[in-house]
Amino acid sequence: MLFALLAAPTFIDSLLLKFFSEQTVNYVIWPLIQVGAVVTLTAGWVAYATYLERKISAFMQARLGPMRVGPWGLLQPIADGIKLLLKEDFVPENADRWIFFVAPYIAVVAAFIVMAVVPFGPDWAVITDVNIGVLFVLAVSSVGVLALILAGWSSNSKYALLGALRSSAQMVSYEVSMGLAIIGALMFARTLSLSGVVGAQASNSIWFFFYQPIGFVIFLISGIAENNRAPFDLPEAESELVAGFHTEYSGFRWSLFFMAEYAAMVVVTAVATTLYLGGWYFPFVYRLTEAHGYHNLYVVVSLIVFLGKAGLLLYLYFWLRWTLPRFRYDQLMDLGWKWMLPAALINIVVSAIGVTLIQGLDGWNGMHTIRSITNGLALTPSGKTIAIVFGFGNLFLTAGILSLINWRSRDFNLKKQRRQIRLVDLPKGKPAVMPVEIVSEARP
Amino acid sequence: MREGNLALAYARASDTLITDSRFNMPLVPVPEPTFTQKLKRFFMVDLLKGMGLTLGFNIGALTDRDSVAGKGIYTEQYPKERPDVAPRFHGAPRLNMDPETHDTLCIACNLCALACPEDCIDVIAMDVEIVVAGKPRRKKVLDEFIFDTSRCMFCALCQEACPTYCLELTQDFELATYSRAGFVWNREMLEQGRETVKYES
Repeated sequence: MLFALLAAPTFIDSLLLKFFSEQTVNYVIWPLIQVGAVVTLTAGWVAYATYLERKISAFMQARLGPMRVGPWGLLQPIADGIKLLLKEDFVPENADRWIFFVAPYIAVVAAFIVMAVVPFGPDWAVITDVNIGVLFVLAVSSVGVLALILAGWSSNSKYALLGALRSSAQMVSYEVSMGLAIIGALMFARTLSLSGVVGAQASNSIWFFFYQPIGFVIFLISGIAENNRAPFDLPEAESELVAGFHTEYSGFRWSLFFMAEYAAMVVVTAVATTLYLGGWYFPFVYRLTEAHGYHNLYVVVSLIVFLGKAGLLLYLYFWLRWTLPRFRYDQLMDLGWKWMLPAALINIVVSAIGVTLIQGLDGWNGMHTIRSITNGLALTPSGKTIAIVFGFGNLFLTAGILSLINWRSRDFNLKKQRRQIRLVDLPKGKPAVMPVEIVSEARP
Repeated sequence: MREGNLALAYARASDTLITDSRFNMPLVPVPEPTFTQKLKRFFMVDLLKGMGLTLGFNIGALTDRDSVAGKGIYTEQYPKERPDVAPRFHGAPRLNMDPETHDTLCIACNLCALACPEDCIDVIAMDVEIVVAGKPRRKKVLDEFIFDTSRCMFCALCQEACPTYCLELTQDFELATYSRAGFVWNREMLEQGRETVKYES
C-alpha cells in the first residue's frame, strides 16, 4: 500500500503521457491535480479545524465537546455542513442583494488562493513557485478585508456595519506591522519566493526563528489580529455586536465566512511556518530518505513535517483564544501602532546592522562568517552565533526602546490611566452585605 | 479626577443620601509598580500562568478523563449517565404495593388528598362486601387514584400524611410529556411507573 502510494506519481505520469503531450501533462494536468488535492485537503483541514477547536475548547473548560455524531464526534463537521446547507438563505429587507451575495465568495477565494504559493513540501508538493510569493501572500490576504467591509455594508444592519468598520481598521493597522516583520527574515533568505525561503533555511540547516524571534512573535500576533481571532475578535464581539459583519448572514453563506476565517488561520500558520520555522525542512529527513534514493518518501515525510509544524501553530491559536479575554478597542490600537509597529521597525534596523556586521567581519582577522550568498545567506557557525546573539539581544533592546517611547503614553491599566485613586481598604472576599461605613486610613 | 469632580461626587452623594465614607477618602496618586511587578510584566508572567492553566486542563482532559486528580472532565453525559439526585429530592409519585401479595397498600383514607395544598390528588373509593367472623360487612377499598403532576409542587405533604407508607415521591425526575393530559397520572401509572427511554452507556 505504502509502495503503491509512493510509486503513484511516476505511474500516473506515465499513464497521462499516453493520452496527452508532455507539455500538456506538465503545465495543465499536473497543476490541476495539485490544485484539486490542495483545495480538497484544505477544505478538510478547515472542517476538522472547527472540530478541533470545539474539542480543545471543551477540554480547556473541563467538558467533553462533540461526542454524539460518530465515534468521539468525528463526523460532527459533516453534520454541521449538512445542517448549514439545509438552512434558509435569508436576505434582509433593503439589503444590497448583489453585494450581499458576492461578499462571502470574495472572503473564501481570498483565503484559499494563498494556498497556491505555499510550499507544502519539496518537488511535487508545491503548486507554483512564484518569485514574489511573500508579496503575493500579503497582497491577497488583505483582499479579505474587502469581503468583510462589503458584507457589513450590504447587510443594512448597524451591527454588521460597526463590525465591518472595526475589522477594516484592525486589519489595516496590523497589516503594516505584519509586512514589516517579514523583512527581517527576508534579509537572511535574500528571496521573496516561499520555496526559496525554505531552501535558504534548509541549506543553512537553521530555522529563521532563531535569527528573528521578534519578527516571529510580531508576525504571529499580527496574524491573529488579521484573522479577527480572539483575543482580537472585536469585529465579531458577541457581547457588543451580536456577530459583527456576518450578523445578517445565515445558512451556506454564513458557513462560507466561517470557512474563510479558518482557511485564513491555516494560511497564516502555513506562512509563519514557512518563513520562521523552516517550512518542510527538518533535520535528518534528507539524509535518511533522499540520500538513499527514496524521493517520494522524502516528499511525503516533508509534507507531514510541514503539517505538524502548522498544526502546532494552529493549536497556539486555539490555546490563546480560550485563555485570553478580548482586548478593548483602544488597547487594540495601542498594541498595533505603539508596540507592534515600532518593534517591527527596530527589528528591521537591528537585523540590517547584524547582516552588515556579519558581512563586514567575514575575512577580518582571519574570521570566516559567510559560507555562500548564492542560496540565501548561508553562514558558518561563527556567523550563526552572531546572528542568533543579535536576534535574542534584540528582544531586550526592543523592550527597552519600546518602554522608552511609550513611557508617557496611557497604560493598558485603567487604574494607571486615572492617575489618582481613592484607596479603600476593603476586606478580602465578597462581603455578604455591602458595608456602608468603611473606616480606614488612606495610604500615602 | 480634579477638585471639581470631587465636589460633584459630594453633591451626588448628598442628593442620593448615600453616606458612604469612601467619598471622604482623599485622592492619592496611583502607586508606582514595584520592581518585581515590572519584571513580572516584562516576562508576561500572568499571561503564561493563564496559558499554563488552560493547557493543564487540556492535558488533564486527555490523561485523567474521570477527573481523579481534579483536572479532568466534569460533564455528566446525561441520557447515558444518570445523575445521583440528592436524597431529599422529591420526584415522580408512586403508589407502593405489598411486595408479597401485590395488593395496593392504599386504604383509601383520603388523608393525602386532604393534606395536599394544591388539591391535585383525587382518591376514588368503592365499597365491597366482605364477611368478617360470619357477618357481612362493607369495606372501603381504592378504586382509582388521580395524581395531577402538573399542579404538584413536590412538597411531599401527602407522603407525610400517608398512614400506610403507600404514596411516596420517588427520585425519578423525568416527568416531561408531549401533552397536558399526560401530566395526569392514574392508578396504573402510579403503581407501575412511567416508561422512559433508557440509553446504553
